Amino acid sequence: MKIDGDTCIACGVCVPYCPMGAISLDGVAVIDQDECVDCGVCLKSGVCPVDCIIFEPAPWPRSLRVTFSDPRTEHKATGIAGRGTEEMKTNDVTGRFKNGWVGMGLEFGRPGIGTRFYDVDKVAQVLAKQGVEFEPKNPVSFLMEDVKTGKIREDILNEKVLSTIIECLFPIEKFKAVIAALKEVAKEVDTVFSVECINRADPDGSYPLRKLLVEMGIPHYINGKQCVGLGRPLAEGGN
Amino acid sequence: MTHSLHRRGTAESLSEDYVLLCLPAIGMNDDGHDPKLQEFLRIALRHDPKNIGGITKGNMYSHKPEEVVAAAHGIVHAVFDNQDTVTQVLRELKEADLGMSVVVSGIFENVDECLEKAGLKHHTANFSLGIWGKTEKLPSNDILEVTTMCGHGLIASNLVKAMVEEIKAGTKTPEAAAKELAPQCACGIFNPARTAKLLVAMAAK
Repeated sequence: MKIDGDTCIACGVCVPYCPMGAISLDGVAVIDQDECVDCGVCLKSGVCPVDCIIFEPAPWPRSLRVTFSDPRTEHKATGIAGRGTEEMKTNDVTGRFKNGWVGMGLEFGRPGIGTRFYDVDKVAQVLAKQGVEFEPKNPVSFLMEDVKTGKIREDILNEKVLSTIIECLFPIEKFKAVIAALKEVAKEVDTVFSVECINRADPDGSYPLRKLLVEMGIPHYINGKQCVGLGRPLAEGGN
Repeated sequence: MTHSLHRRGTAESLSEDYVLLCLPAIGMNDDGHDPKLQEFLRIALRHDPKNIGGITKGNMYSHKPEEVVAAAHGIVHAVFDNQDTVTQVLRELKEADLGMSVVVSGIFENVDECLEKAGLKHHTANFSLGIWGKTEKLPSNDILEVTTMCGHGLIASNLVKAMVEEIKAGTKTPEAAAKELAPQCACGIFNPARTAKLLVAMAAK
């Protein structure tokens, strides 16, 4: 995102709209290009009285910023707008998350901090060593040099985005080891990441993962998401 | 796409915050799905939603509700502020048998009560284990309670602070401030009714 300095009247109205705090006033409004993630909030809010906010599509690798930061932009590789996949939302139809397995999503930069891909790379490599399966349709998986190592391609490591998600899957027996590894690598990243875990309910309605979290003393929010089984056709083993 | 997960707040505040999502599974039942998503939104609109929206168009604070309905594609959302309404909407969705996947975000215990009354059962859960890493970079918790209602992070902390200052100065009502924040959340999962109450509490500090 850029400001046309010749048109800007320095009213400052756009400044608080930037989720990254990358806009400041220095005679006129200016955008710190290194911190800007091209989310487009400043432009699409429509608050500029003189229409001096500009978006010009950037070449690779900066072009990643808008794709990962503006959820209205569709990832060409996945055909899905947003930053991840359908994950558990359509599990009643896809059967992607089966009993005995845990899905995990780590959303880097969320909430509201932003992330560089070098932090994603650190954690992805740690997860790979735990033997997780990275979701092949997830946009970050497309940016890995090798999904077996989790290594993210070198040329994008310093690119900053509003947030990005690693999605993976593993047997519930690995959960304790994965969490232990994550706790360690969390000390080494320069951003935040929000952690989610997906679990298919057993036939009696209980979630084995919830029991395991209690046993491990790991708190989870009192609120979360539940797929309610209305999708058709139901996946094998559906309700 | 975990945008309705990780909403922060107290049990009291979150008990007035439920997001329903409706979507097809790509490549499995997405042929001709738009009318089904439109019907989901029409059902929602009969029950005084606090917001509706879809990523292709925006939400009811940036467009007319009928425009949001007409543009339904991919995934749509509706926000409600009480269990009775969620229960009634779920009953009507079950009756409508749209064949689309439906997800409910909210306090697990409360959502399960709604499901039971509507004759439904939970299938798969997504649990939030919270925020890890360099958490000292985060804004205060009261700001996060507002900003995490847009899971894509499009509502800036500084904008929330600016709204609080305007409420304190008497230049904006909490309701107007919440409605000014709402259009930034493109999907329409932001809850302006809950936000207004949170802003009142922040302005009183």
